[in-house]
Amino acid sequence: MRTYFRNVYRSLITILIGMRQTWRHLFTPSVTLQYPHEKWDLPVGTRQQLFVNIDDCIGCYKCARICPVDCIYIDTVKAKPDEDLGKASTGNPIRQHVVRFDIDMFKCCYCNFCTTVCPTDCIYMTDKYETSVYDRSNGIYHFSKYAPDYAAKLIVDEKEAEAAKAAARAAAKEKAMAAKKAKVAE
Amino acid sequence: MFNNIFKKQRYYFDSEGLLVVDMSPSSAVHYQEAVQAATQDAGFSGEDMVINFGPQHPSTHGVLRLEVVLEGELVKKVTPHLGYLHRNFEKHAEYIPYNEIVPYTDRLDYLAAMNMNLGYVLAVEKLLGLTELPERVEYIRVICAEFNRIASHLMAIGTFGLDAGAITPFLWAFRDREKILDLFEWLSGARMLYNYIWVGGVARDLPDGWVEKAKEFLDYFEPMMVEFNNLLTHNHIFIERTAHIGILPADVAINYAATGPVLRGSGVKWDLRRDQPYSIYDRFEFDIPVGEGMYGPVGSAFDRYWVRIREIEESVKILRQALDQIPEGDVFEAIPRKIRPPAGKEAYFRSEAPRGEIGFYIRSNGSDIPDRVKCRSSCFVNISLIDEISRGQLVADLVINIGSIDIVLGEVDR
Amino acid sequence: MTPQDIADKVQKQFGDAVLEFDAEALDPVIKVNPEAWFDICEFLKTDADLEFDNLVCLSGFDYGAGKELGIIIHLYSFPKRHSIAVKADLPRENPRIRSIESLWRTADWHEREVFDLYGVVFDGHPDLRRILCPDDWEGYPLRKDYEVQEFYHGIRVPYKEDWEEFDTFLKNPRRGHFVFQFERTLPANGNAKPKEKPSP
Repeated sequence: MRTYFRNVYRSLITILIGMRQTWRHLFTPSVTLQYPHEKWDLPVGTRQQLFVNIDDCIGCYKCARICPVDCIYIDTVKAKPDEDLGKASTGNPIRQHVVRFDIDMFKCCYCNFCTTVCPTDCIYMTDKYETSVYDRSNGIYHFSKYAPDYAAKLIVDEKEAEAAKAAARAAAKEKAMAAKKAKVAE
Repeated sequence: MFNNIFKKQRYYFDSEGLLVVDMSPSSAVHYQEAVQAATQDAGFSGEDMVINFGPQHPSTHGVLRLEVVLEGELVKKVTPHLGYLHRNFEKHAEYIPYNEIVPYTDRLDYLAAMNMNLGYVLAVEKLLGLTELPERVEYIRVICAEFNRIASHLMAIGTFGLDAGAITPFLWAFRDREKILDLFEWLSGARMLYNYIWVGGVARDLPDGWVEKAKEFLDYFEPMMVEFNNLLTHNHIFIERTAHIGILPADVAINYAATGPVLRGSGVKWDLRRDQPYSIYDRFEFDIPVGEGMYGPVGSAFDRYWVRIREIEESVKILRQALDQIPEGDVFEAIPRKIRPPAGKEAYFRSEAPRGEIGFYIRSNGSDIPDRVKCRSSCFVNISLIDEISRGQLVADLVINIGSIDIVLGEVDR
Repeated sequence: MTPQDIADKVQKQFGDAVLEFDAEALDPVIKVNPEAWFDICEFLKTDADLEFDNLVCLSGFDYGAGKELGIIIHLYSFPKRHSIAVKADLPRENPRIRSIESLWRTADWHEREVFDLYGVVFDGHPDLRRILCPDDWEGYPLRKDYEVQEFYHGIRVPYKEDWEEFDTFLKNPRRGHFVFQFERTLPANGNAKPKEKPSP
């Protein structure tokens, strides 16, 4: 019986101690933010949506290679010897057409590896975080500056050029073989 | 009676994507058969009831599913079923280079990602023989790990209060945890999954003014812990609710290889930071809190909670020393260009994460991709105790026992 | 006791069952014959000088496709404060070893995990079921020659990139829309990240 009343007494007292804390905090400023209306400041270097400044991209594949989840897709076409694609803002010469630079933001794990390895700082994380979309395909961001048909043309051209080169090489080889044979026959 | 309920039509899509209508009451039959089989396996009579607890239950702290055999309201047997969050981290790790595994370790214990990073990175450094790191790196690592320990324990004690029916302390704990996350966001750019501690260094140097802000936070935080204690720890109802249940004797805890607050709550003074000091923990002065059995038997749910509260205070002590001593220096100089341990070498390294020992067993095959990465998860081991500590208690106490073990399913299921 | 002493003691007791001892390894490891696995573990636990009461970790591993499987335990002794690792190689076909669950209760789930992911059968284990994968999963995922099943209950298991969808999207004339919309919301100074940039 005594234990029972002691328990009741202690419970009441400890609740009152807690309530005193709560009461005191009634007069302190609130710490909650009404999110869609108010937004908190993000610090410098925050890791949210990825962005690629494609003019600076030299197509080195470093970001695609280090990505732990393989969410960066790059296709490049080598520039012809007489073509000058200029330089990136950091001074690195651009020698490739980046015909495709897609990032699947649904796969991205925001680990920041791609931005740390980029030699020209062209891929970086912005402070944009409200990126929900209605369609899954809209989560794939395309950054290449080439129109699809032109990109396709570049790819076809490169393939043709390569095929021509290979054919020329094969022909040259055959010629050399024939010459050799002729020599042996002599 | 139940048969009628289950006799509804069921629709599902087969492998070709076609709609199939299942008219048979197979689900009801399966369910009843399963119940009968489970009760018979456990050696219980038909009076016992098998209930399914989870996986979508707020107090299981994730997607843990427990198969509970009840006799009235008493728990007779608890069988945990894991794997609802299984993604086979260990298989992933066999396909990607050493440094790229660090973001994956974030996702193990996502409430203490810094400690997971640290545990993995220290294991790789042991494998590489990389012991001489810049002083500043070591200090930054310890500071991050201890801050994350506080954040993780705040989450643990907050949700533990929630399990016991106290809602307010949960929100208070979250408010303070949020401030730590702000510090981390400033430091690493992310709030939860930091990818901050890298092999041989850290991802970024401390920003200007970070140390001062961190000290400011500690000054703010210590009185808040007193308030938290007033609110929850010393509350008599809470004590009565938790101090007599979930009793775990020390020998059982050791036999089950329980670690962290679960082991220390049973009165075993064992902390890797003191007993096998890694990084620079041997330079700091701090105590190892153990369960004292203040309000009931040693090793109760309250003791495990109390150890967490005390550990927060010890972490604050370590942080104050580390923030005062932190030297200047370059944090990137020791980051290795290539991580290629010799073939066939293997290392096991364990470190003290908030929930217990996190161990990484790494075998190398000579390339930059590991041959095997085994994560010895603390929660995985600790949750196997749930049957031991809940048997013979009320089903309402089961919730508190889960909360007192403090699991994170990301680490249990890996 | 140093690892060398422990190994000597075990060697003295079991003789040929100890295949080799690597004292140079980062964690000194005794390689034992799987036949004597349980006896050696029991000796390590119960001997008055060793008293390994804590099984820290039990892990399986694979030497590679076509080679053997392995199992390694890391032990620690709270009273004596020393540690050792013990490992054994098992054949790839029908790997069996005696369970040490009766010595350390924690081995229960560790062994279930190794059974689940490597297919090692532990004789004498009271409840050897899969633990992380579903009960009716096929194959043992962590083996090096594992091939994932195509369907699980009608669900496609392997992840495949839907390249067709990708290509149709690439040809969509409106695809630039997203890039432009995104560009407009960029901060004025653009690159907002700290200067220090090590390579990870």
